[in-house]
Amino acid sequence: MTDTGKSLDLELHKQMLELRLFDELCRNLKLKDLVWSGYHPYEGQEAVAVGFCGTLTRDDVLLSTHRPHCHAVAKGCSMRSVLAEMMGRTSGCSGGLGGAMQFLDVDNNFYCGSIVGSNLPIATGIGLGIKQKKMDRVCVCMFGDGASNTGSFHEALNLAAIWKLPVLFVCENNGFAEAMPVEEFVACERIGTRALGYGLEEIVVDGNDPVETRSTALSLIERIKSGEGPFLVEAVTRRVRGHYMGDPEATYRTKEEIERTKREEPLKRSAEKLAQQGVTQDQLDAMERDMQREMDALAEWASNEAFPTFEQATDHVYIPLEGAAACQS
Amino acid sequence: MPVVTYGQAIRQAYEEEMKRDKDVFLVGEDVGRWGSLYRSSTGLLEELGAEQIKDAPISEAAIAGCGVGSAMMGMRPIVEIMYIDFITIAMDQIVNHAAKWHQLSNGRLKLPIVFKTQGGAGRRNSSQHSQSLENWFVNVPGLIVVMPSSPYDVKGLLKSSIRNDNPVVFIEHKALYFEKCEVPEEEYLIPLGKAEVKRGGDDLTIIATSWMVKFALEAAEQLAEEGISCEVIDPRTLWPLDKDTIVESVRKTRNCLVVTEAPAEGGFSGELSSVVHEHCFNELERPVKRLCSLRTGMPYGPTHEREVVPNTKSIAATARELVGKEAKEELSC
Repeated sequence: MTDTGKSLDLELHKQMLELRLFDELCRNLKLKDLVWSGYHPYEGQEAVAVGFCGTLTRDDVLLSTHRPHCHAVAKGCSMRSVLAEMMGRTSGCSGGLGGAMQFLDVDNNFYCGSIVGSNLPIATGIGLGIKQKKMDRVCVCMFGDGASNTGSFHEALNLAAIWKLPVLFVCENNGFAEAMPVEEFVACERIGTRALGYGLEEIVVDGNDPVETRSTALSLIERIKSGEGPFLVEAVTRRVRGHYMGDPEATYRTKEEIERTKREEPLKRSAEKLAQQGVTQDQLDAMERDMQREMDALAEWASNEAFPTFEQATDHVYIPLEGAAACQS
Repeated sequence: MPVVTYGQAIRQAYEEEMKRDKDVFLVGEDVGRWGSLYRSSTGLLEELGAEQIKDAPISEAAIAGCGVGSAMMGMRPIVEIMYIDFITIAMDQIVNHAAKWHQLSNGRLKLPIVFKTQGGAGRRNSSQHSQSLENWFVNVPGLIVVMPSSPYDVKGLLKSSIRNDNPVVFIEHKALYFEKCEVPEEEYLIPLGKAEVKRGGDDLTIIATSWMVKFALEAAEQLAEEGISCEVIDPRTLWPLDKDTIVESVRKTRNCLVVTEAPAEGGFSGELSSVVHEHCFNELERPVKRLCSLRTGMPYGPTHEREVVPNTKSIAATARELVGKEAKEELSC
């Protein structure tokens, strides 16, 4: 990828658009009750995923959250395996048993779970493994502003810092912990400031600017690989939609705030920037039409995939013990 | 054969397994310089180095999560939680991640983690340092639960737990660290999921776990002098449970007493009792009886502590109620 200028902007726009359309596809499938459980829309946060997940190699390890689907796609997991998982089909990366907010793609080193804050301690262990086995890899741990209030956040940041682990902690501050505005539940002005308490640098980036998130990720990953880790970054973005589909948004959001969020969302900003560089709306529309056709085909494919059998529901709970009592009865 | 303590047997297991496989490492509070609370890793930091013996801050959630993450990267962590009472802080990692991710990975990801801790009363530590919380883990699919009751068992079971690819909750007992028995010099493993008949007998099967095994054996000795022959079974691995050994024994003795240090209500003693009733109902002379700690926070101080927990005297008395002379006479009427 070209590192500067118009071609980079266009490429990042394309990546964000793909995530936007994928998220929209999941939302529509949720409305049709083909995606179950807590589906958490990603709209508006695409620049964070493109920067901090899209720059990773397959060997790098990504830990995500209960809002994982765009992180996974940006990391390089196939949209097929992610969508099939969200729709509970056996061809999903967790065999259709994990679902929309907890799935693992071992081949692509992608892991997520639905307990807020839990992935930070796991990141320390991955970092320790990378460090002790002297691997040329990093671990990136994505979490939200809500997770930064958990005990796990504190324990993990401190452990990673004292052991100098190769982990990039990325706080994706989308303005709300479920329904509560971040300014009500975080006592300091910037979550990034909390890094100072662990002897780390304060790093805050515009999470709606993919050029900034990408360049920050690339430079921090390089520094981590040269032994300077860990780092904590706060990427400031805004969630366009509710915490989950159909949550009572009117109880905690104002019309003005939603309008401002939509004005500043990354894809709109990116389109405006590209327009200044001479990219026409027709070109962007054509790009979107092509992608939409792929999304439609994807949904069509996934809708015809099989659900797990009843027997598969109890597969792989244990690795059987040789010559001993059965583990499951 | 050398006689060693429970604590020394643990140290031997660590040393052998860590020399055998460099991916095995111990992480926890004061496992290095201190050599662990009950000295079960004394000198290993100097001998094996800081990559295999890692002192960690008082951060149980991070330590447990470090176990999960490092296992994902191909290591074989032994995560020490100093007291089982502190495992409450680490529960999320054990229950929500270690126990789930093998299944969610379609069987691809192995999580060979030993969550090693110690529980129980006996050292006058009161209610936040003396609990028996094993029941919780038996109820979580995906976990193996081990409770060794002797130096011989702790070594063989720990070595097997370290080599096992499932997450194991390995619960030692704080009152056992200075117990001694013969432990062979040559290597041995004790398979997980296998109970042991600790003493053979014909009149009554006593199933006891962890520290309670010692008292059950003492009671069996006393009862033998009174003409009551007890078979004492230690499940050793609470899950998976070796039901065959238990069922075979109760079908023979036709009576069963379950002894655990955890309170009875909602606990593993109920699981054992159910297994016996489900499989031996027709052979049982009487319903299974349970003798467990009283439903209270562990009282401070040596006297009450020993009274709320089953002991040799109370086990013998309960056994007499089941199969003593009066009980037998009542049955024959």
